[in-house]
Amino acid sequence: MSEHKDDPLAGITVIEHADGVAASYAGRMFAALGANVIKIEPPSVGAALRHAAPSLTKEPAASALFHYLNSGKRFVTCALGSTRGRALLDELLGKAALLIDDTPVAQRVQLALDPDSIAARFPALVHVSVLPFGAMGAHAGYRASELNVLHAGGEGYLMPNGLTLESFPDRGPVKIYGHFAEMIGGTSAAVAALAALAACEASGGQFVDVSVQDANVSVGCFAVQRLGEGVLENRRERSFKYGGVLECSDGYIGVLTLEQRQWEGLVELMGNPPWALDPALRDPLERSRRGAEINRHLRAWATTQRVDEVVQRGQALSVPLAKYNGPGDILDSEQIKARHVFEPLELPSLGTVPAFTAPLQLDGHALALGHGAAAPGADNEAIWCGLLGHTATELDDWIRHGTV
Amino acid sequence: MARSENAPIRNPGGAPLQGVRVADFTMHAAGPFCAHMLSLLGAQCIKIETAVRPDIFRKPHPVYGRMGAASFDQVASNKLSVQLNLKSPEGVDLAKRIVAVSDIVAESFRPGVMERLGLGYEVLKQVRPGLVMVSISASGQTGPERGYAGYAPLFGAAGGLGTLTGYEDGPPTEIRHVMDHSTGLTAAMGTLAAYLRKQRTGLGQHVDVAAREVACGFIGDALLQYAATGTAPRRMGNDMPQIAPHNTYACAGEDAWVAIVVETDAQWRAFSTVLQRSDWLADTRYATAASRWTHRRELDAAVGAWTRERSREEVTQVLQAAGVAAFPSYTAQDIVDDPHMRERGAIKTMTSPQGETRSVVGPPWRFSRSPAALERWTPALGEHNDYVFGELLGLSRARIEELVATKVIY
Repeated sequence: MSEHKDDPLAGITVIEHADGVAASYAGRMFAALGANVIKIEPPSVGAALRHAAPSLTKEPAASALFHYLNSGKRFVTCALGSTRGRALLDELLGKAALLIDDTPVAQRVQLALDPDSIAARFPALVHVSVLPFGAMGAHAGYRASELNVLHAGGEGYLMPNGLTLESFPDRGPVKIYGHFAEMIGGTSAAVAALAALAACEASGGQFVDVSVQDANVSVGCFAVQRLGEGVLENRRERSFKYGGVLECSDGYIGVLTLEQRQWEGLVELMGNPPWALDPALRDPLERSRRGAEINRHLRAWATTQRVDEVVQRGQALSVPLAKYNGPGDILDSEQIKARHVFEPLELPSLGTVPAFTAPLQLDGHALALGHGAAAPGADNEAIWCGLLGHTATELDDWIRHGTV
Repeated sequence: MARSENAPIRNPGGAPLQGVRVADFTMHAAGPFCAHMLSLLGAQCIKIETAVRPDIFRKPHPVYGRMGAASFDQVASNKLSVQLNLKSPEGVDLAKRIVAVSDIVAESFRPGVMERLGLGYEVLKQVRPGLVMVSISASGQTGPERGYAGYAPLFGAAGGLGTLTGYEDGPPTEIRHVMDHSTGLTAAMGTLAAYLRKQRTGLGQHVDVAAREVACGFIGDALLQYAATGTAPRRMGNDMPQIAPHNTYACAGEDAWVAIVVETDAQWRAFSTVLQRSDWLADTRYATAASRWTHRRELDAAVGAWTRERSREEVTQVLQAAGVAAFPSYTAQDIVDDPHMRERGAIKTMTSPQGETRSVVGPPWRFSRSPAALERWTPALGEHNDYVFGELLGLSRARIEELVATKVIY
């Protein structure tokens, strides 16, 4: 949580009970937007994601993924398996506008986190459930990780296309890097939570069932649309007819020309080679039919080019081109520096590290997280005593009994 | 709560954004997806377009292999369509009048275009105090590369997601429409956050979403790893560090795959039991997650030999029953045929005014008290001219006809 007065969610308290990436990502978005996000973890060990590889440091282990997902939040511990722990959770929920929870459906009643009992106890609360296949339906109890939901959403089957597929035509699907599908689920949950909060005045609190699969089907909707046009997409036929990934002398670029003027710009960028001046290629349908031939020429030309130079020259001609940037390129990018989307955060054992904040700006300002992720229970005293008014003696007692 | 005074009740009953109106100047995919999300949530979304430069779904898309206009466009569905030629001063004036009765403006032109049209945020917030405006572009509204053109694969390239995606020994990989649509989803999130602030303070905000930064957000852990250690992850195919088995395995049938992930020791024991490989439980090569990761290629070969003899559904069923994460690699046909998706409303059947029936993607959320809904087919170009210019803005029939004749409403 940052402390900027224009933060859109300033003053909103969110309780996050999340072990997975999707729900944690939703909570992170709320933190970046200025909400006071309190993450509840099991005492001592904390969330399992704290141990996700790769680690930034060995002792204490610091997961890059956990730190990324949980910067800007506050951290309390609470054993929800105990009566006292559940009572403490209720005290927190009494202060909150939103609960984000990814407890498996089968465990919810036992932990008093089922929608009915939450609605009965906190009728004004927005309760967002984030699960791989949602909280209802035949697959609601299914276990899933990133790879499973990427394929359940349809995009997994369709990757890769273009040069990667041509390079390895006999291999199976390849996943999108990292936790893309789960982060889509988290963003979708944040959208739903914000909409439910906007409707609170009219509708009161409510339960919102978010499925990571549904979210991925939604962003992959074009495949269903194509099915309606009689085309069942697959990896091969989804490839662009021409353009795509090109290998230059010092790296890779992508190029895609959907409009006539962009194609003409590309021809000019290539120095008007005779093959490209074939009058028949002025027709986009003909270019589509002769895509393989065009690609042979494009790929041969690209090997003579340097990435940064050709992107700059191409963009000046309005040709959609981009460099395939690695993390180092991104941190060094003048565009990214000008946007201030990295914020120096203090991370335990690591010192100050620039961290990506959020993919949006408000009134010309990048968002801020304020602080990095801390140890499990780092904010126990501030929350249990400072916010809820319990005494240090009570807190010590709960710690002794493993409640906190 | 600030809601449009004139907003008719034409949206799904009780949806969260009931009564909110969006003036939608977006085109192509990312921007329209943002406004589509808001429309599913109940906002009345007026798509402002023109015959001078039709949106991409209204014409052939030969690079993609579609040789005619689409009869249905998911990201345009649920919206109203009006025609306005924004190159005419009268067209710009009418656009401002639509904004004046709207709560949200969405646009996805290159940075600077809305200002050149006289429709920049500084102008529009005078037209509609408290306006929330979202601008969606390749690189954002600021910075030296703000004018760069781009499409989904290029956003993924510049933002690093495509660079890190691919086989370990292969080139980077294009990220397709999901990059556009995830940008639109992110923009919807920012818009809603700003709208919530408007509800609470009366103050509007300009939301600036850069698609390449959305891609950066999906690799935030890799960016942090590089910043902290100087080492960046590389392309790694289907691998996930320290987790094995973790792959997509071929099954019986043509191009049939199942995704299997075994994360914990308990899941490993269950997995070995299902595969009737008790020998694995005594094998020191597979005793820990770290050692399974080291020997993941041998494991992949053995697991693949087992799955090839079985259907995707059988593998999924027996592994899920044992608590192991497994799921078929779904095609679009699998998605629309899945009763689970139908039951959730994530897939539904719609019929066009012309009688075309097809499966479409419904809202990806289930609200207990204010349900989101997809209710309208893709509008024809200008289908709602009469409603918006006549009923909503109060123009006379004669005036509308005059504006059509002079190609302002065009």
